[in-house]
Amino acid sequence: MESVLLRARGVPNSRSIDTYLAAGGWSGFAKALSMTPDAVVQETIESELRGRGGAGFPTGRKWSFVPKDHPGPRYLICNADESEPGTFKDREIIEHDPHMVLEGIAIASYAIRSNTAYIYIRGEFVRWAALLEDAIGEAHRQGWLGRNVKGSGYDLDIWVHRGAGAYICGEETALIESIEGKRGFPRLKPPFPAVVGVFGKPTVVNNVETLACLPHILTKGAKWFASIGRPKNTGTKLYCVSGHVKRPGVYELPMGVTFREIIEGPCGGIREGHTLKAFFPGGSSAPVMRASEVDVRADFDACAEAGTMLGSGGVIVLDDSVDMVETAANLAHFYAHESCGQCTPCREGSDWARDILDRIVAGHGRPADPETLLRICRFASQGMTICPLGDAFSLPISSIVKKFPEEFERHIRAASTVPQKKLPVLPWAGSRPGFGS
Amino acid sequence: MPKLTIDGREVEVPPGTNLIEAARAAGVEVPYFCYHPYLSVVGQCRICMVEVVGQPRLAIACATPATDGMVVKSETSERTKEAREAVMEFLLANHPLDCPVCDQAGECLLQDHAATEQGGQFATHMVETRRTFPGYERRLIGPHVIQNQNRCIHCSRCIRFTREISETAALTYKSRGNSAYIDTFNGEPFTDPFSACAADVCPVGALTVRDFRFRKRAWKLRATPSVCPGCSIGCNLFLNHHERVVYRFTPRENPEINATWLCDHGRFLADSLNAQSYLHPHHRAAGQLSRVTWSEALRALGFDLKAAHTLRVVGSANLSNEELFLARELFVGHLKGEMVVPVWAGEHRRMKNGRGEWLRSTDAHPNSQGARRLGLRIVDPAGLSRFLYGAADLTIVLDPTAHPVLAEEEALQLLRVSPTVAFARTEHPIANVASWLLPTTSMACHDGTLTSSTGAVQRFSAAFEPPGDVRRTAHGGMSPTVPTLAQPYGPPAEARPLWFLLTVLARELGATTLDLPDVGSVFALMSGREKGFAGLDWDKLAGSGDDSFRERQHVG
Amino acid sequence: MSTKPILSVPTEQLENTTFDATMEERILELLKRYPTTRATLIPVLWLCQERYGWLAPGVIRAVADRLGESPAYVEGVATFYTMFYTKPPAKFVLQACETLSCAVCGGKELLHHLESRLGIKPGEKTPDGVFQLVGVQCLGACGTAPVVQINDDYYENLTIERLDAVLDDLKGRS
Repeated sequence: MESVLLRARGVPNSRSIDTYLAAGGWSGFAKALSMTPDAVVQETIESELRGRGGAGFPTGRKWSFVPKDHPGPRYLICNADESEPGTFKDREIIEHDPHMVLEGIAIASYAIRSNTAYIYIRGEFVRWAALLEDAIGEAHRQGWLGRNVKGSGYDLDIWVHRGAGAYICGEETALIESIEGKRGFPRLKPPFPAVVGVFGKPTVVNNVETLACLPHILTKGAKWFASIGRPKNTGTKLYCVSGHVKRPGVYELPMGVTFREIIEGPCGGIREGHTLKAFFPGGSSAPVMRASEVDVRADFDACAEAGTMLGSGGVIVLDDSVDMVETAANLAHFYAHESCGQCTPCREGSDWARDILDRIVAGHGRPADPETLLRICRFASQGMTICPLGDAFSLPISSIVKKFPEEFERHIRAASTVPQKKLPVLPWAGSRPGFGS
Repeated sequence: MPKLTIDGREVEVPPGTNLIEAARAAGVEVPYFCYHPYLSVVGQCRICMVEVVGQPRLAIACATPATDGMVVKSETSERTKEAREAVMEFLLANHPLDCPVCDQAGECLLQDHAATEQGGQFATHMVETRRTFPGYERRLIGPHVIQNQNRCIHCSRCIRFTREISETAALTYKSRGNSAYIDTFNGEPFTDPFSACAADVCPVGALTVRDFRFRKRAWKLRATPSVCPGCSIGCNLFLNHHERVVYRFTPRENPEINATWLCDHGRFLADSLNAQSYLHPHHRAAGQLSRVTWSEALRALGFDLKAAHTLRVVGSANLSNEELFLARELFVGHLKGEMVVPVWAGEHRRMKNGRGEWLRSTDAHPNSQGARRLGLRIVDPAGLSRFLYGAADLTIVLDPTAHPVLAEEEALQLLRVSPTVAFARTEHPIANVASWLLPTTSMACHDGTLTSSTGAVQRFSAAFEPPGDVRRTAHGGMSPTVPTLAQPYGPPAEARPLWFLLTVLARELGATTLDLPDVGSVFALMSGREKGFAGLDWDKLAGSGDDSFRERQHVG
Repeated sequence: MSTKPILSVPTEQLENTTFDATMEERILELLKRYPTTRATLIPVLWLCQERYGWLAPGVIRAVADRLGESPAYVEGVATFYTMFYTKPPAKFVLQACETLSCAVCGGKELLHHLESRLGIKPGEKTPDGVFQLVGVQCLGACGTAPVVQINDDYYENLTIERLDAVLDDLKGRS
């Protein structure tokens, strides 16, 4: 398959606007400017593009929720807070092709009639934030951004806003709060950001990869995009494969390939001398899959049918050397560290689950622990919390407990009892000198 | 107006009402920890989950507006029950089991909920070590507030209070997740002028009021509705008292004046109500004060008053409307004396009402507005001096704390010139010059009304009877004629409310219309005669003894 | 890669921080980007951290005064985000990723190696103030695990030998 999103990988000087323009760059935005914003929305709806950040919500429909009659400013936010464990695709796009991201932002901004866009990039990506700043400078100088873009009468400014180390800010309302200069606490919904978003104005938050698809949809047409992959799961997808494969990395494949095709194809299979044990199909927040489920198609609907989710497309591959209880403990540490602390079930639940899993790993498991973990997960998910972080920590942990009960049993069978703290006991009076023998 | 059904009870509420308030209107108590009617809704604690029929997921009642035709299940829903049990399990996982030594016990929302809801069956399966915050377990964070972070349930009420109400934004979360804790900037003192409210809104014992800690268990206290004596704004409060001791003031809801807040200045006046320096009537003869009985005092005073050609009265804007009215009727109307009410500005005070508007006061008295309505002459310090320089056969000072000028040497010299009758409760130099020293009681011992600078006439109630067996007698005097014996609670004392003393004096002087049996009758007489109080009904003025669930929730 | 050391200004020198013309100019530049002043908070905190190495109480107060916020608010925001230093950091902060992909691809061993080589636990600084070890959550570079971020720079596909060479180099330059 021809590379679309990763076409610049390996191209010399790929980040410069000249290279980008030579490859037909910025023509998608030029085309969008010749259309009405509504036509751009329509084109995107027809492409059946779904959000690549994790939820898989149809992008065009998300845009269409922005009130048309709203008089004030609206905002587009590019979510480059890539923090989901196992996900590293956005960095790859920015590294090789920052202008593709900017062009996508420009198209989306035009579609929702926004004149200001922010790129919220995770704080650790210092270098990639700088790359985007450089690209924005170039685009300004060549008239693709700023006032009256290419004589169209359309104004657009893009600003890079760096986060500062908080996974939760990848959640769109937490991200909005963070841009507003607050702690990254997700907001109660409704109202949804499309109506009341950043600075109280209608706002659309789209993932980097989602936006990067737009220039191609505009230039090659919605039909072309929809022809890739399967119905309702269209286009190419960046799969980020990490863990125990021979060649980890980001691979662009048509939506709907199977996980086996991804792992055994470009990744070269499991490392020598080991076999596949389990994999997370879409970042660590997706329910884990056993090796036997490797033939599931890697798209939104097929994953959902299989009881998991495509999420961000971050495939974490674990071979037979991995202890699944330790895996669960590792993830529990991540989520306990990243829970913002607002909602009781997530704040307390993630911490508690971490403590239980640490204890099992330390050799002090109890027979009741798997049950307790499932109870924590059940009541920290399914709408018990403001944002999906409750689900994000519950799904992987509960799925590990359910799919690998034998590993928990092994740990717990081998466990010594919890070491009891010795309480101070007063010496028996009889043993004291002067009180008999 | 949306009409909805909650646990089978129909209720109609104003548009925009959330399900907690709608349920309350329907008589269903939905539990909550982070919700507060005067703070923004954050939906953090998740205990207020209810089932809205037709919606797949449970909804949080605090953030769900009531809509027409909604069918809500709170206590009747199995799913709700299960969810609340789970939330309680999560909250109790790290909450210390230290209720017996926690000062919040008895007015703790978490404890109340754990003990009363669902048969008190809440438990946690947690066997791990609880997370603690070493160094933050008993920390004085400000002059009035002590923090125990281990108990915090992360409701953020205190933070929202300082951001939204007191506007100092002095409190914040630091760190995040389960490690987050409440702190001030760089650990500096929490000197918010409303600091104790942060402890009030704390649903648990994470923030407690230093001045009240361990002085009395909350369930021992009785709450009597009253009004703050601290300034002219007239914040509504409860006197919390037990065995004739006032332990604290807690806010009483009034959206028009103080919502559910009290400033630290007003709140910590509570203890001042316990002061009682003068216990018995005294008369000065040959330069020496000697104890007399009420009967002797009032009879002799009656003679003196009748004999005085020129009588002058220093009133006080700290007195109730009824006391001012009685004094005016008796001394000005009946005896043709002259009366002034001195007023001083004191410090600038402010309070935020339920609509988020600041009310301001530069008037240290709770009732100058009432004195004005009664047409009394208001004087400033200079006016008071001029008044005292005038000659008079007899001077009556109804309240020596009416103005700081009265404690100055110049005023005392002037009061020495001719006989002075002083009604007093707390230690005051006027006792050295008065020829009659008559003990009065604090506002905790009588009913009355005060007129706020907002114009509201507000009733306060007697919390307890003053100690000592002093009553009216059939012939108009006061018993006993011999000193009282020690009472079980409080010192043997004969101090009596001023209104009561004035009515007895009225009878002595033959002003029979003013010889009234209770404050309500005084009020009725006053509202019949005074335009400023016309149409007001004693029984309908705020001040019923209702210590409702809602009010406790705001305190706790 | 030549990672720049963090030069943290001592607390006492930051007690009464005021912003000079250069800082003020950059703050004004930021204020143009957002419709509210508060939105510049995180960018301004970044500016300060670049300038002073960390966010001392004096710096937080200066930011609060400049942006019209309470210092407690600013401190609350700063402590929510793990990348803001509210304690002076070492010259080189070694942020070793602990999350799953790194952990199963040698990250755990790497962290243990760092602990024994430097003789410190995560969260601690070496006595000479050159290195600080921090265990961090996913750095978003799982395909090139294990990863250690040192100050602003990513060091990827690390082995114990490569990391040792990097540390030797940094130590030599400090």
